[in-house]
Amino acid sequence: MVIRIAAVGDVHLDEDVVGRFRPALEELPECADVLLLAGDLTRHGTEAEARCVAQEFGGLAVPVVTVLGNHDHQCDQVPQVVKVLEDAGITVLEGDGVVLDCAGGRLGIAGVKGFGGGFAGRCASDFGEPEMKSFVRTTNESAERLGAALRSLDCDMLVALTHYSPVPDTLVGEPLEIYPFLGSYQLGQAIDSAPTALAVHGHAHAGTERGTTPGGVRVRNVAHPVIKQAYSVFHVGDQLDTDQVSPIGGSGSQRSWS
Amino acid sequence: MTSDQAGGAAPPDEYVEAEIQRLLTEDPAVAEQGITVIRREDTLVLYGEVESAHRREEILRRVAERFPDVPISSDIGVIRAQAPTEIEQLP
Ligand SMILES: [Fe+2]
Ligand SMILES: [Fe+2]
Repeated sequence: MVIRIAAVGDVHLDEDVVGRFRPALEELPECADVLLLAGDLTRHGTEAEARCVAQEFGGLAVPVVTVLGNHDHQCDQVPQVVKVLEDAGITVLEGDGVVLDCAGGRLGIAGVKGFGGGFAGRCASDFGEPEMKSFVRTTNESAERLGAALRSLDCDMLVALTHYSPVPDTLVGEPLEIYPFLGSYQLGQAIDSAPTALAVHGHAHAGTERGTTPGGVRVRNVAHPVIKQAYSVFHVGDQLDTDQVSPIGGSGSQRSWS
Repeated sequence: MTSDQAGGAAPPDEYVEAEIQRLLTEDPAVAEQGITVIRREDTLVLYGEVESAHRREEILRRVAERFPDVPISSDIGVIRAQAPTEIEQLP
């Protein structure tokens, strides 16, 4: 069983970018079963920018599933943004999940935006001023909703989609001092609480592509400035079904489909 | 605000650096969190990746407007948006 997952985050669309991704997106049906968007779809989270996202990522021949990012919250128009995206057929996740029937099996995707807080041993605590407690509680609640959503899905393969990072591995390249604003270990803990096959996030524009949770789940930072292409494609599957794996086979092999 | 000091000495570089970093994110005309500001001798160098050439120009315009006396150079790229030529197998 192999499921083909395309993913990109942090496309930060506005009028000046519309059309740049489209030629590559038109190729999606040949190479992917689904496209995941890891948040920061817009620059300021306005309804007008959301329409740019709808134009660029709507009406594709593969399902598109997204979470929002911090930029998509900037103008406090989240309900309008979500509506524009949903009207374009894009599934917006926040503390919930969706199961898609793919050729390789049922793909379950659970998503939250997530939040900062930092990583084990170097993180913020639920203590002190109300502002600090509210910061950490936002993180905790987000992670709890992600964990619950992941555990609730009945599927053959489980993927976690967030904007903030669940691990520090994929932040390498960012200044250490800002790690607590880039992600939180609680998201990793939520991902490890379910049989997750892959975790995809964005937000860390200067980070690196690959990481692993303490529980061994592969993590990929797909922020557009990190992957430097329209999207990345992952073939996730059971090693035993070698017939369905690409002809080259083996972990880390590469193949052009064009 | 340090940039508005009249007649005094130039504000310390670190504060200028901090203000530019915040302007890059908080100025609605820029709204970039992925631009790094580094001090190289007397110049502040901006580098990072943005989604369009227009945004790169806008960054330089806004920074120059706000800090006309600070020598700025930039090495900002526009992110490629081609379809990938390779896949990653995750067995
Ligand atoms: Fe971003
Ligand atoms: Fe972000």
